[in-house]
Amino acid sequence: MAATASSVAAANGVAKSDAPIREDYVRIDDLTKEYDGFRAVDDVSLSIRKGEIFALLGASGCGKSTLLRCLAGFEKPTYGKIELDGVSIVEQAAYDRPINMMFQSYALFPHMTVEQNIGFGLKMAGLARDRVAARVEEMLTLVQMNRFAKRKPHQLSGGQQQRVALARSLALSPKLLLLDEPMGALDKKLRSQMQLELVGIIERLGVTCVMVTHDQEEAMTMATRIAIMDAGKIRQVGTPDEIYEQPASRFVAQFIGSVNLLEGTIEDDEKDHVTIRSDVLEQPIHVGHGVTGFEGQAVAYALRPEKIKIEKDEPAQPHNKVRGLIEDIAYFGTHSVYHVRLQTGKKLLVHFMNAKRWASERFTWNDTVWLSWGDNAGVVLTS
Amino acid sequence: MIARLRKYLPGGRWAVIAPPYFWMLLFFAVPFLIALKISFSSIVIAMPPYTPLTEWVGDTLQLKLNLKNYLFLLRDPLYVNAYLSSLKIALISTLLCLLVGYPIAYAIARLPAASRNTALMLVVLPSWTSFLIRIYAWIGILKNNGLLNNFLIWLGVIDEPLKILHTPVAVYIGIVYAYLPFMILPLYTNLVKHDHRLIEAAYDLGCRPWQAFLRITLPLSRAGIIAGSMLVMIPAVGEFVIPELMGGADTLMIGRQLWVEFFNNRDWPVASAVAIVMLVLLIVPMMIFHHYQSKELEGRLA
Repeated sequence: MAATASSVAAANGVAKSDAPIREDYVRIDDLTKEYDGFRAVDDVSLSIRKGEIFALLGASGCGKSTLLRCLAGFEKPTYGKIELDGVSIVEQAAYDRPINMMFQSYALFPHMTVEQNIGFGLKMAGLARDRVAARVEEMLTLVQMNRFAKRKPHQLSGGQQQRVALARSLALSPKLLLLDEPMGALDKKLRSQMQLELVGIIERLGVTCVMVTHDQEEAMTMATRIAIMDAGKIRQVGTPDEIYEQPASRFVAQFIGSVNLLEGTIEDDEKDHVTIRSDVLEQPIHVGHGVTGFEGQAVAYALRPEKIKIEKDEPAQPHNKVRGLIEDIAYFGTHSVYHVRLQTGKKLLVHFMNAKRWASERFTWNDTVWLSWGDNAGVVLTS
Repeated sequence: MIARLRKYLPGGRWAVIAPPYFWMLLFFAVPFLIALKISFSSIVIAMPPYTPLTEWVGDTLQLKLNLKNYLFLLRDPLYVNAYLSSLKIALISTLLCLLVGYPIAYAIARLPAASRNTALMLVVLPSWTSFLIRIYAWIGILKNNGLLNNFLIWLGVIDEPLKILHTPVAVYIGIVYAYLPFMILPLYTNLVKHDHRLIEAAYDLGCRPWQAFLRITLPLSRAGIIAGSMLVMIPAVGEFVIPELMGGADTLMIGRQLWVEFFNNRDWPVASAVAIVMLVLLIVPMMIFHHYQSKELEGRLA
């Protein structure tokens, strides 16, 4: 497939690091973890660059946490290699690895104050007392928690606990920082604020970071690259916009965001365009570029709801338009989602930006509308 | 009218709160006050064998508090020594219980959830047989021609039987054996609630397993250690049966002195004074315990 990923201004709010990129700072080779014959992680290979924030994204039970625990040293892989900065770490115990982790719901030591929590690793490393104190002070400043140094974790709010957990995991200047569901314990408002703040701190220090999350918004906001995991396997690795605009399979297309999948077969395979015959549309789909496929091949055309235009009158374009009936409306304020039923019975989701006030009043239930999309609006999926 | 009356009548809340208070009043406060009263009287050969505290002389009600019994306890080194010895034996027994009980509680808490209850059952199971029978069983094991000595002689480790029974060692064995479940249960309750991720966080920050234990698990189980220690120490101070049956003639414990005063000397006032002083000695550690417990609760609620 050679579809051009139309570079929509990325949902990725993170400036990419200018530091020289080392392609395989963390190298995972054929990593497998089995529990009683069940493969939690199934033959995973990954390269993670120095200084990037790499997200493992997947539903619960997909193996992302097990993979993270293998990196941390809490699980021993059944087989496979893990190298960090050119050194194999599989045989190293968790306490010998230059890796630190920010735990899900933080795992702060409840019997220690904020500064004792942050200084714990430094003390364990045998640093002199004044050097521990200096580093703790530095970390407290970094996360703006100086005022709370003497508090115990239970006296802090969720957001404050997270800052302490971050400071604790960064105090030892780890070569690799692991984040396990970093925003899992925060409410939604605080989440979006902390996401950017966390990324800001991590980028300022230039620390390489692997995070695990089930929240795609979180992965897209924070990560420079995302790996989609399912059933122990990596399904696709890419930047957030690549994953969204150029999914490699039906699974990824459906996993990230919402999508209309139109199943069909390649009818006409030309160099500069392709047509796909789908049972759910009267007209064949016109794709404005060539694909690596053959005539008669079963494919799916993945069309994101916001790429579809909805209007009352028939559009002038010759292809890629269809008539339907509005069956359901979900109003989200910023945009509305219309569930449009085609004459074949297929339902399409359409997003409509409410760019003008009261714009949503234009369409209502049982209206007959025309849907249309551009020649490069969708992605042809063969798997 | 009825509504107004109802305000003064005890409601459902009282029905819930009252029974424990009533229980405490009936079985703790009243006996305590009776013992306290007797401890301030003098011995007489009569029935009851003590003088009344109050007396009508003409029109005046005289209250005579006889402090002789308490002064006697203070002056007679036998009692002071018995108290000190009881405290010492109770303290050492508590420490031994902690050393034996902590690993057991820790191991049970780390078992898979399905087998924990079975393991706890095994800890409690011996208490289903009579306490006295279990002590007699220990006598059978420890005596000169008992199981242990015969076994060791058969092995060839020793030529002559070890004298264990009727020595302080036997008392420690008896107390540790009898009170071990009281140490294990509160410790288990505490340890089973520990979040394993805290240990992983400690490993992650460079702790070796034993360091993680000393710096995380041990301090976090403090409430369990205190609770278990109190449950062992308080009854151990007043223990009577074990020193009587397993200790030697020289095993001085306050429980035995109490028995002697009450049943052999028939000196109820002195016996009562012995009991009151013992109670005071026990209340102090209990208050410490309570203080720590409420502090911990406050900490959690804050």
